[in-house]
Amino acid sequence: MIQAQSLTKRYGSKTAVDSADFTVEPGKVTGFLGPNGAGKSTTMRMIVGLDKPTSGSVIVNGKAYREHKAPLREVGVLLDAKAVHTGRSAYNHLRALAATHRIPASRVDEVIALTGLESVARKRVGGFSLGMGQRLGIAAALLGDPATLILDEPVNGLDPEGVQWVRRLTRQLAGEGRTVLLSSHLMSEMALTADHLIVLGRGRVIADAPVADIIASANRSTVRVRTPDSSGLANLLAQPDVTVTSIEQGLLEIVGVTAVEIGDQAARAGIVLHELTPVSASLEEAYMSLTQDEVEYRTGGLSSTNESETPALQEAAR
Amino acid sequence: MTTLTHPTDPARTDTPSVSSGPGLSFAALIRSEWIKLWSVRSTVWSLSLVVVVSLGMAAVMAWATTLQLDSMGGATDLSVLPAAEQAGIVLQAATFGIFFGQLIVAVLGVLVISGEYSTGMIKSTLTAVPRRLGALAAKAVVLFACTFAVGIVSTVGSFLVAAPMLAGEGLSVSLFGPTVLLALLGASLYLGLVAVFALGIGTILRSAAGGIAAVLGALLLLPIVLSMVPAQWATDASPYLLSNAGTALFSTTTTMDPWQGLLVVLGWIVAAGGLAAVLLRKRDA
Repeated sequence: MIQAQSLTKRYGSKTAVDSADFTVEPGKVTGFLGPNGAGKSTTMRMIVGLDKPTSGSVIVNGKAYREHKAPLREVGVLLDAKAVHTGRSAYNHLRALAATHRIPASRVDEVIALTGLESVARKRVGGFSLGMGQRLGIAAALLGDPATLILDEPVNGLDPEGVQWVRRLTRQLAGEGRTVLLSSHLMSEMALTADHLIVLGRGRVIADAPVADIIASANRSTVRVRTPDSSGLANLLAQPDVTVTSIEQGLLEIVGVTAVEIGDQAARAGIVLHELTPVSASLEEAYMSLTQDEVEYRTGGLSSTNESETPALQEAAR
Repeated sequence: MTTLTHPTDPARTDTPSVSSGPGLSFAALIRSEWIKLWSVRSTVWSLSLVVVVSLGMAAVMAWATTLQLDSMGGATDLSVLPAAEQAGIVLQAATFGIFFGQLIVAVLGVLVISGEYSTGMIKSTLTAVPRRLGALAAKAVVLFACTFAVGIVSTVGSFLVAAPMLAGEGLSVSLFGPTVLLALLGASLYLGLVAVFALGIGTILRSAAGGIAAVLGALLLLPIVLSMVPAQWATDASPYLLSNAGTALFSTTTTMDPWQGLLVVLGWIVAAGGLAAVLLRKRDA
């Protein structure tokens, strides 16, 4: 369980995280999404006390991270795959971290086996690939068998097999009742892994909802229409909340009307259709439109902290 | 999970803790820092170098002394000198390596912390020890213990190299004479304290290049610069410089008593360590 309240971080005049309020609940995988510089990493660093909030607060498992008597047993964190001394072996790195909480050597061996690092554990970390570094970071996060896991871009640099492994692992950890907060740039990965999404844009929480809701509400479906009379169809459908985009000669993309309505109206007007295909919005598109809104409305001082407002904002943007 | 400082939804804060077990303790942090110190190569080679250089310097110094005495004519029998002077000559050779050893442990002291900053390891360290100061204190204790022990090995070893060579000139000095043992202990203590001072500077500056430059500057450059200032205050301040005060711990040629020298060296450490502790707590990692 992670609870942030009015969490704010400013670096000089730049606001990295802007009064973020959110709760990450146990028993599910929560995805943390946002473009570069949206404040994901800064937020994660504040959760584990590496950065101090300018104002507001964040607590993990009931209290501020630094107040815990055994922090590694409460929270496991992968912030940066490079948070390891390059001159030390993976085994010694884990042993040194484990020693701070008297975690036995048998647990070090366990997490090495769990992350598939047996063959390289005695080698110096400086020679590790990005993927091996990620596995080591995940091994370190799991050392204390914590109730809460925070993983910043865990699949970054992993091969497809590794990506699948992280997916299974995070699902399993959430299934055991743990709190799992996961950030990723791969939207498709989020669609497969996360149950819940918190979307950040320029330091603000712009959406906080189940994955399915975000896909459904953040963007309406696009319909692709092929017709010899594209201007006729465009005139027919012309309405303030309908967008018609000409992709090429005779091919339109229409947002704001369902495929059924387009077909019905075209039949009544006697317009020939060669293709009528609903294109459902992917999570990636939903995410792009969400974050785009945030960027566009930033200077206007509008904020959309509720995902239900977002479609309205999108329309206003068009 | 007894205190609840967050007002949002108090009913949900009782997350079942999946695991339990021992928490942080200073002894555990010492163990962790011990593993860290000895699992990088720079520790092994730098501390070995201190011993090798010390023994080598002692041999060279003792040899040079015998050559010098021989060139003054064959009739030098130093056994007629007072015991304190005899001890002084042997000690000079036995502690000569400290001047080089202090530079090596200074570099090691800076690297122990700057290496964590340059590699990002510091984030792992401070996540494991979010209150931070315990990690720095444990580092200081482990670093001091190791460099002090290496100092004992180096100075006692150097004495055992130099004393037999100088015995040929009639010098008869026992390792277990009170002045000898205290001086060797003082030299070892100084070595350990220089490493801790360097750790403080490394923590303040967070960079290997900056930290090493600053510490070597304080040890080597400051005395030279101060000696070139043609003013009384410069002359007065000179004994209070880290390396000059440190020399008082094992040499009879300085104006300070050993305990005064120790206090001054500790003052340097409190200043550097205090600033390091404040900054470590205050700064974002």
